[in-house]
Amino acid sequence: MLKRGMVAALAVSIALGGCVQTRQFADVQFSPPTGDYKLLVLRPDVTVGSLTTGGMVEPRADWTAQARERIIEALRAQQAARGGNLTIVEHRNQLPGVSEQELADIERLNFAVDQSIVDHKYLGDTLPTKRRVGLDWTLGADAVRLGQKTGYDYALFLHAEDEVATGGRIALSVLGIAGCFIGFCAPSSGQQQLDYASLVDLRTGQVVWFNVVTAGSQVAGIKFGDLRTPQGAAQMVDRLLGRMKRGRAVREQQRRGS
Amino acid sequence: MCGRCLELTRRSLLVGGGAAAASLQTGVADARIRPADMTPLIGPGFKPTDRDEQGLWREMDRVEEEVAGSNLLITDPKITGYLKGIIGAVGGPAAKDFRIYLMRIPEFNAMMFPTGFAVVFSGLLLRMRSEAQLAGVIAHEAGHFLRRHMIRSWRDQRRKSDIFSVAAMAAGLGGAGAGVWLGDYVQLAQLGTILSLFSYSREMEAEADAMGIRNMAAAGYDPMEMSNIWQQLIGEEDASARYRRKRRHKGGIFDTHPSSDARMADMKADALELRAPGKTYDNGRQRYLATIGPTRPTLLDDQVKLNDPGASQYLIETLALDGWNGLLRYYEGEVWRLRNRPGDDVRAEQSYAAAVAYPDAPADAWRWHGVSLMKQGRSGEAKAAFTRYLSMKPDAPDAAWVRQMIG
Repeated sequence: MLKRGMVAALAVSIALGGCVQTRQFADVQFSPPTGDYKLLVLRPDVTVGSLTTGGMVEPRADWTAQARERIIEALRAQQAARGGNLTIVEHRNQLPGVSEQELADIERLNFAVDQSIVDHKYLGDTLPTKRRVGLDWTLGADAVRLGQKTGYDYALFLHAEDEVATGGRIALSVLGIAGCFIGFCAPSSGQQQLDYASLVDLRTGQVVWFNVVTAGSQVAGIKFGDLRTPQGAAQMVDRLLGRMKRGRAVREQQRRGS
Repeated sequence: MCGRCLELTRRSLLVGGGAAAASLQTGVADARIRPADMTPLIGPGFKPTDRDEQGLWREMDRVEEEVAGSNLLITDPKITGYLKGIIGAVGGPAAKDFRIYLMRIPEFNAMMFPTGFAVVFSGLLLRMRSEAQLAGVIAHEAGHFLRRHMIRSWRDQRRKSDIFSVAAMAAGLGGAGAGVWLGDYVQLAQLGTILSLFSYSREMEAEADAMGIRNMAAAGYDPMEMSNIWQQLIGEEDASARYRRKRRHKGGIFDTHPSSDARMADMKADALELRAPGKTYDNGRQRYLATIGPTRPTLLDDQVKLNDPGASQYLIETLALDGWNGLLRYYEGEVWRLRNRPGDDVRAEQSYAAAVAYPDAPADAWRWHGVSLMKQGRSGEAKAAFTRYLSMKPDAPDAAWVRQMIG
């Protein structure tokens, strides 16, 4: 009886332990880009590593290259379906008319702003001045200047990291759960996927939309979309960018209008 | 009954663990690695062929792009070319593959990245008294690459964490099966694993020292300068700690690097082995000073603003061992002025007065000398000093104020 109860509890905990979470924020005036818009994707940052028996993540060049290609394919397909015109910049010297230094500055500024968004919107350190105002961050005049120089409407920053468990890690995980039956429960953490993206309106400099997706399991070997496969990459791009929500003001206006 | 015997084992275990830790503590000064035993593990144009190393290299491409585009970078081609020349001289077989970047960070540090690019902090240029000393530090960093330390440490960590995880799981399962609690052993094993990682890291540093000093001597520099660097650093850390009423950290089991004392002693022994008898060495001091000369005021300025008067004073006095000049005297005054303890104002005034007696006194020395003369009521001399300041720095941000003081 006791054993059966434990198995049930275990099954529930495994089901709960692995999940996909996504949480997005948008500028109050934001409506997702549609129609004929020009989107600049700045150096998508993708890493796929192997999760070793001991729990370290070893970067893998071949897997990363593969995943990066799949993600870019999926992104192109998705944006084309919405009518967007997409340019992907791989290196800082590839944007005509913009110096490497300028692009580096924009990227660094965006990184700092993204960190601030994560701190104050995701990690619980809420700011009284940013309550109920949607996503209220900006890259300022630099981003506007970039837009004027290049003619792009939006800039997208994208980060994705994924892990693939090694055989050793899977075996250890299975043993840890099997151990529960003899009184030694030690589930080791499985692989985790973390993706985030921010969309900057290059006409105003505002960060208009931000999303974080985490996917992971408590049991190594169970995956929530492998970025190296076309399906996994498409799933990730869909989770991250598929359902962009409109800003609060826009939603209220539509509600009143309907 | 078994509970009792386990209790005993647990106690003996802790005693044993304590003893092991104590022996490690004293054993931090590991056996010296002889330069003669250090041979480069890679040839020219090395590219990784193993999967784990390829992964590490790919990660680093982005890091290098970030470093190369950093706004902390000092890009003066005269200095960067000079650094490149030095790493080319002491870089062994990989001499042509290295990249070297200089960052404006006022700390004593330099680092090598897995793909063969080095980052040198500007604080290093301030502390080195000659080209030979600078070459010694760069040779140490190059040594990390030549001995493939990054991938070797990574593999060491991976192997040890694998072994620990499997052993901990086996202990847990075995213990649960047999009905005994082995958690204490597992914790001790965890501490052991962590300590062994630190110890491995110290071993890599000692290897890089030995490889570096060998290449440095081969390039014609006096290997004894390596040990002098550590002597200077120990002096600086002592002075800094004394000012803060603390004691200098002397190395421990959780350190990634061997203690400065151990490195100084080991490299002195290395140098005695490597030095060619009867040879006179040129330490390249003139060349060094001529190259970094125009940057030195910035380096000193960054240092005195760190609010670490103990270290700053020591550094200035160390540089002055090669002769005082207007620049050093001026920054000596700045250390006192910014420290602002009773009597420091007088010390600062004396330093500024000494600074302006040298032909290379910076404009700001004249300014502060003028201010102190004004305070003493020697307004005629003060005005002369201010006039001198304005003539040297007509666009000074405080020029209007100074002109008003002249009246």
